[in-house]
Parts: sequence; structure tokens; C-alpha cells
Amino acid sequence: MAKTLFEKIWNSHVVVDEGNGRSLLYVDRHLVHEVTSPQAFDGLRMNKRKVRRRDLTFATMDHNVPTTNRSLPIVDQTSATQVKALERNCKEFGIELFGIDSPDQGIVHVIGPELGITLPGTTIVCGDSHTSTHGAFGALAFGIGTSDVEHVLATQCIWIEKPKTFEIRVEGKRKNPHSVTAKDIILSIIKKIGTAGGTGTTFEYRGEAISELSMEQRMTICNMSIEGGARAGLIAPDEKTFDYLRGRRYVPDNYEKLVEYWRENLMTDSNARFDKSFALHVDDIAPQVSWGTNPAMTVDVTGRVPFPDEYAHGNPEEEKAAAKALQYMGLKPGTLVTEIELNRIFIGSCTNSRLEDLIEASKVVKGRKVSPKVRAMIVPGSQHVKKEAEKLGLDAVFKDAGFEWRESGCSMCLGMNPDILAAGERCASTSNRNFEGRQGAGGRTHLVSPVMAAAAAIAGHFVDVREMDLN
Amino acid sequence: MKGAVIKYERDNIDTDVILPGPYLKIHDYNELAKHAMEGIDKDFHKKVKPGDFIVAGRNFGCGSSREHAPIALSYSGIKAVLAISFARIFYRNAVDGAFLLPIEIEEDTYKDISEGDQLELETSKNEIRNLTKNKTYKMKPFPELIGKIVAAGGLFNYKQ
Repeated sequence: MAKTLFEKIWNSHVVVDEGNGRSLLYVDRHLVHEVTSPQAFDGLRMNKRKVRRRDLTFATMDHNVPTTNRSLPIVDQTSATQVKALERNCKEFGIELFGIDSPDQGIVHVIGPELGITLPGTTIVCGDSHTSTHGAFGALAFGIGTSDVEHVLATQCIWIEKPKTFEIRVEGKRKNPHSVTAKDIILSIIKKIGTAGGTGTTFEYRGEAISELSMEQRMTICNMSIEGGARAGLIAPDEKTFDYLRGRRYVPDNYEKLVEYWRENLMTDSNARFDKSFALHVDDIAPQVSWGTNPAMTVDVTGRVPFPDEYAHGNPEEEKAAAKALQYMGLKPGTLVTEIELNRIFIGSCTNSRLEDLIEASKVVKGRKVSPKVRAMIVPGSQHVKKEAEKLGLDAVFKDAGFEWRESGCSMCLGMNPDILAAGERCASTSNRNFEGRQGAGGRTHLVSPVMAAAAAIAGHFVDVREMDLN
Repeated sequence: MKGAVIKYERDNIDTDVILPGPYLKIHDYNELAKHAMEGIDKDFHKKVKPGDFIVAGRNFGCGSSREHAPIALSYSGIKAVLAISFARIFYRNAVDGAFLLPIEIEEDTYKDISEGDQLELETSKNEIRNLTKNKTYKMKPFPELIGKIVAAGGLFNYKQ
């Protein structure tokens, strides 16, 4: 019978199917970070359990770490405690750790692919909802909570209910790939299907516009699957995927043999059926700016902040939500998006902090100055990204323009380290969530692409990057 | 199971408002509880009583995979969240750790229940009794497996 890519990966990982909706699935790679793991390790200790597959478990610290000078101790004591706990746990349980001083340290979803830990056709879990990022490589990857982290550490398996399949087709070829980015594609999808549109499903992104994306752009798309309600999002691997991973440190020795197998097997069969489908055309996608407090509350940069009734299309609950969001965001309906003024710019996070994101943003910034009204920062996704960017001289481009150039980590995406917004501050952010208080209590987040954030840093307000020459 | 309702008339109550990011550093569950719902309701910790229920709209618990969210609610005394729908990771975390019951309700039920109403839940009958309004609603049937996991006190205990 014809199968989807998801079904092929699922079937090859089922250990037990209890027939009651849940199956026991084998986990090929388990990524661990400092925030969602301490209680899991406590649980192992309490029950005298070991980590079953230390060789398939990798840890890093990203959420808490300061992005300023790493030679100084961590000032925040609770952060320091959490970071030290991971060090101790990794040592005690024999897990490889890319620690705060490691040249491999970085956001877990940036370093997984970078080090070749992420592989096509595998199952990957991590105590982090943006684990969906790894789906860009044709891996079934999803976030789990701490009880499940403990379960995977102990058994290398996870009990999970089989999701439905949801095809997302993006047709056409982008006419302006430097200004209409992967971020704009995924925000447009979420705007259309809603934040719960994918609940209980795994996305598979398909179509010409997806195939033409680079690996880093594909990661941006899959990263935000969870913002559309799906725990995982897949893109079938192709030559770009195989080329990206070839030669990376943790890929297996029989890599070329694996590539042959992946090439023949890891795709959705031509007559396979999805449970749900949605399609859009890239010609209908403009640079996006979120105006509200969830990632579906987004408009074209050429648009206006909507009136609640206009946003709600007759749904009273949505209308109330929009009114609340506008109040929190301090925005008047009808305001042109390009008239929204910013105080802060954040280019970073597991969505948009890779080398290509920084290269694209630097094209906007080069030879220009950050608006005096704005404080702007760049937080590379990993130490490798940082080093590569510095080799290209991007740090100088950004610093000359007035950006702060930081060490790698999650930083202002979720406000766990000192990089936060003050109440009322308005930020153009390349991260993934514009929830209330996400970047700091009372902070106001507008989700955008790296080039849109960079252009806003220069102008002090949003601008349509399609009007700039980025080629 | 009997308790009073704390109602939030909104959809998409995300994990960042249930437990804001800065508190993810806290290891002690009772300390976490002090910051539950702080993102939208600074008084939650003062008003919540053991056994209370939260009633909310669609897609409750969307966002991050932080188990700290159901833990903070659980250690605040919340026994169940009644919502029109749940985000999957939150639902799963609530059940696997046996922290609280995520109960799906119809939109009419959501609208009918008010802040402060006394409810009595009988999951074996899929019934919610509103003692204040003297009404009975149906909850969406609770999958058998979910009930067993919660009754066993979480995933590990269920599998042993």
C-alpha cells in the first residue's frame, strides 16, 4: 500500500502497538538541555535507573546561558544552579555534553544538524517543543515533557499516540527569495490554518517552493510546525539534505550507503493519501509581521493592524481575543504596519539564527546605521555559526552599524537569561512566539524574518524589504 | 472531585502565561506554584484553593513542552482543567506525570460555567455537575487509557 513519508518512518520505529491508540516508538536520538532535564535525572537516581543509550543521548546548555562574556561566572544564581546540575548529571550518567565553554555549544536545534547528529529517517526527541526543527532533514522529531524525558533516558523508547498526516503544499517559485523568506512562508501558513490547525497531526511540507529552499530555510519552516499545533513537521530529504550532512562529525561511517537507502525510500509514495491537506502559492506571500499575541495574528507588511471584527470574521471569541491582543500590544486598529515604531531588535533563536540568516540580515545592514531610537542585538545560534560569521566579517558589519554581537544561546526568545524586554518595549524579533510576556513581562513582540528585523533596526519602524536591493 | 471554578474567558492560553520563562529555573515545585498563571493573572496564587478547577476556551496549553506548566497548576491545587480543546504536549504532560486531568467540554458548557461555580466531576460517568447552577453537563468521553494512566499515578507507575 502507498505510504506517506511519516508512515514509513513511524512503521520502522514501532516496538509495540498496544492497539489502544498508543504505540511504543524507538528513539534514535535524544537531545537534552538544562531546563527540562533536572527532574528527569532526579527520577532516574531515585529509582536507581541508568541511561539506557548514552551513545544516542547528547546534551547542551542553551536556554539559561548568558550571551555576554563567557569567561565571567553566571550572575543569576538559579541559572548557574541549573547549568551546574546539567554538568553534574551528564558526568554522573555518562552523557556527552556540549557545555558552556565548548566550541560546539549552541541552541540544541542548531547544533543537532550542525554536528550531524540529526539524520534522515530517524526519530528524534528533546524536552523542547521546537524539536520539530529537525524534521527539515526528514526526521520524525518532536518535543516532549520532563516525564517523557525521564522515560526516554531510561528506556530509549516513548509511548505515543499515532498522529494523523497533514500535507502542506507550497506551490510556485519565489520571485524575490531574499525578501520573501522561509519565515514569511511559515507565518503565512499559520495565519491561514490557525494555531491549533495542526493539532494531532504531523505536517509534511511539499511543493516546488519547499524543494527550492536551502536546508537552513527548511529548518525555519519545520521549526514553527508547533506554532501551527503540530508536534512534528517533515520535509522529504533530497540531495541538498545529503550534501548538507556529508562529512559532519557525528554522521555514521557508512554514510554513503545510508544515502542510497534514503534516496530510494524516504519520500511519500505518489498515490499515498494524507488525512488533511492545505495549499498556498508563494506569489500570494508577502513579508509578514505579527501584530498580536499568537503567531496566527499576522499581516502583510503592506497591511494595517486589523480591527477585531475584521480579524474575527464573525467569531465573537476571536473578536475578544483580538481586542485583548491589541490592548496588550498597545496598537490602534487601522495603523499601517510600516508606521509601527520599534525600541528593540532581536535577531536570533532556533528559528532564525543560522549563518544564512545572518548573511541575509547583513546585506540589509551593510554600510547603514541602527536608528538611534533602537537597541539591536544579534545572537548567533551556536559557537560554530558565530565563528563562521566572524570569518566572513559579519560581526564587523553588524557592530559598525550599532548592533550588539553576542555569544550563542536562546537569549531573548524566551527571556530566561538577562536578555529581556522591559514592560512596554516593542521588539521586532526573529523568534517564534509572540505570547504575552514571552520576551519579558509586558514586552511586545512582533515576529518577522531576519531581513525584516534588520531593516526595522535601520529605519526604526517596519519597512517592506522588497523595496530594497538584496541581490 | 469537588471544587470551585477559576474561569479564563479566552482561547490559546499558552504555556508562557501559565508559567513564564524566567521561573523555569526553579527546581522546587511548591515554589513554581507561586508563579502559576502569573502571565495573565497576578492574583491566581492568592485566590486558588486546593481542589479548584480552571475553565478556559480552545487550545489550552499551546506552546512550549515545559512540564512546569501542568506542574505549577497541580501544585497550586488545581485538580482539573476544563477546556474546549487542548494543545497536545500540554495534554500529554498533564497525564503522563499525573499532575491534573485535562477534560474536554462542549462550547455551551464552557459558556454556561461561571467564575466561582461549585462543580463536582464524576469521570466514570463523564459527568460534570454544576452545584451552584443545579445543572449537569457531559464531558467528552475520557479515553480509557488516559484514565488508567492518571489513576496509576503517571506513566512510569502505569507501566510497572
